[in-house]
Amino acid sequence: MNLYLNQIAAIVWKDFVTELKTRELLSAMFIFALLVILIFIFSINLSIVKASEVGPGILWVAFLFAGTIGLNRSFMLEKENGCLMGLMLVPADRTAIYFGKLISNLIFLSIMELFILPLFMIFFNIDLLEHLGSLLVVVFLGTLGFCALGTLLSSLSSNLKTREIMLPILLYPLLIPIVIGVVRMTGQLLEGVPLLNMMKWIGLTASFDIIYIGVSIMTIDHILEE
Amino acid sequence: MRKAFGVLKAVDGIDFELKQGEFLTVFGPNGAGKTTLIKILSGLTQPTSGAAKVAGFDVTEGNPEMRKEIGVISHSTALYADLTPLENLMFFARMHGLSQPEDHALKVIDEVGLSQRRNDRVRTFSRGMLQRLSIARAILHDPKILFLDEPFTGLDLHASNVLKEYLKRLHDRQRTIVMTTHDISCGLEMCNKVALQVRGKFAFLENIEDVDRDQFESLYFDAVRDNQFVMGIGAN
Repeated sequence: MNLYLNQIAAIVWKDFVTELKTRELLSAMFIFALLVILIFIFSINLSIVKASEVGPGILWVAFLFAGTIGLNRSFMLEKENGCLMGLMLVPADRTAIYFGKLISNLIFLSIMELFILPLFMIFFNIDLLEHLGSLLVVVFLGTLGFCALGTLLSSLSSNLKTREIMLPILLYPLLIPIVIGVVRMTGQLLEGVPLLNMMKWIGLTASFDIIYIGVSIMTIDHILEE
Repeated sequence: MRKAFGVLKAVDGIDFELKQGEFLTVFGPNGAGKTTLIKILSGLTQPTSGAAKVAGFDVTEGNPEMRKEIGVISHSTALYADLTPLENLMFFARMHGLSQPEDHALKVIDEVGLSQRRNDRVRTFSRGMLQRLSIARAILHDPKILFLDEPFTGLDLHASNVLKEYLKRLHDRQRTIVMTTHDISCGLEMCNKVALQVRGKFAFLENIEDVDRDQFESLYFDAVRDNQFVMGIGAN
């Protein structure tokens, strides 16, 4: 068990060191998310439309589209120079590779989201601090599901020539249940509904998170094999 | 052992045994299935039928313990370009579960003569240096068996000689080695056994003492020429 956890930690460490040196991933995701928010803010007349009604959808569009860039890059790093082959040759369970990449993706996306949330608050003039704790729970649940499924599908699509197109085509339809859940929860939070009154949506989102992680554990062996 | 990709039979009934400490060189034209053979033996891909045991482990079971016993050098270096040699090898040492990963990494970096470049990004390395670092990655965990897929490709004379010397030292340490190569002189010089793989099969498998070099070269070049004809290269 110790070795398993050390292997996961090693993969996360490796991804972090790479990102520290290249700074490609976080900057690309942040700028893309910011761009999405800016485009929407300039196209919506907030004197007519309530920010708390359109804001949640825009926020999650920004997160998911920017996150897709991160996911694409995640396994591309392993495909370069045949590094995935190197990972397949170590005495590691394939799920350790999956969880290592999942945790890396989750951390990078969360960092991007933590930078985007204050900007979203400023541009849309919505006070997020009032509901910050609950909002972070919702963002975590959504991001976890996105990363769980996205890590699996990015490993699948990394073998394809049309990987940049295939990942969103495969990922977005399967994410619908989670997206519906987190957008609804975010909207209700901004209207002052306590998180405890949304157990139905929390249950739905968490269930799908667990399902995606479970399916990934069962299939990652076959996906990574050449 | 067989491996087919649709109608293409990359490995078509190969059957051989290698004892500990032996060095098998597999020659063959492009597309003969040499890389697929290495991939099957190293557990990177499953055979379509048949069986193979490496270090006592069935390759089809995907047992992680088997991977502790083998090291693989392939066409790709399996090195992270933006990390340094030390970072790369520390990572792989941790993945192998080695205690004191930094010590292990420094030791093999020194063995392959890259100590002075251990903190430079791998992206800045020449082909020869990358190959040496790839060897370091493959021997980091001191495996009993090494699989080398055309390790001399792209190396200049000096780098080739360095690699040859290193492989001889590994062989002297009773490491079992399976190497594929197009370089006849290198391949024949170092091995105990010679095989010629043509269209997925071993057309030739002998101990080196029983091999007439001229005859073997003739056989090899015939195989390459026939392969080019089949592939439509240079055909009228």
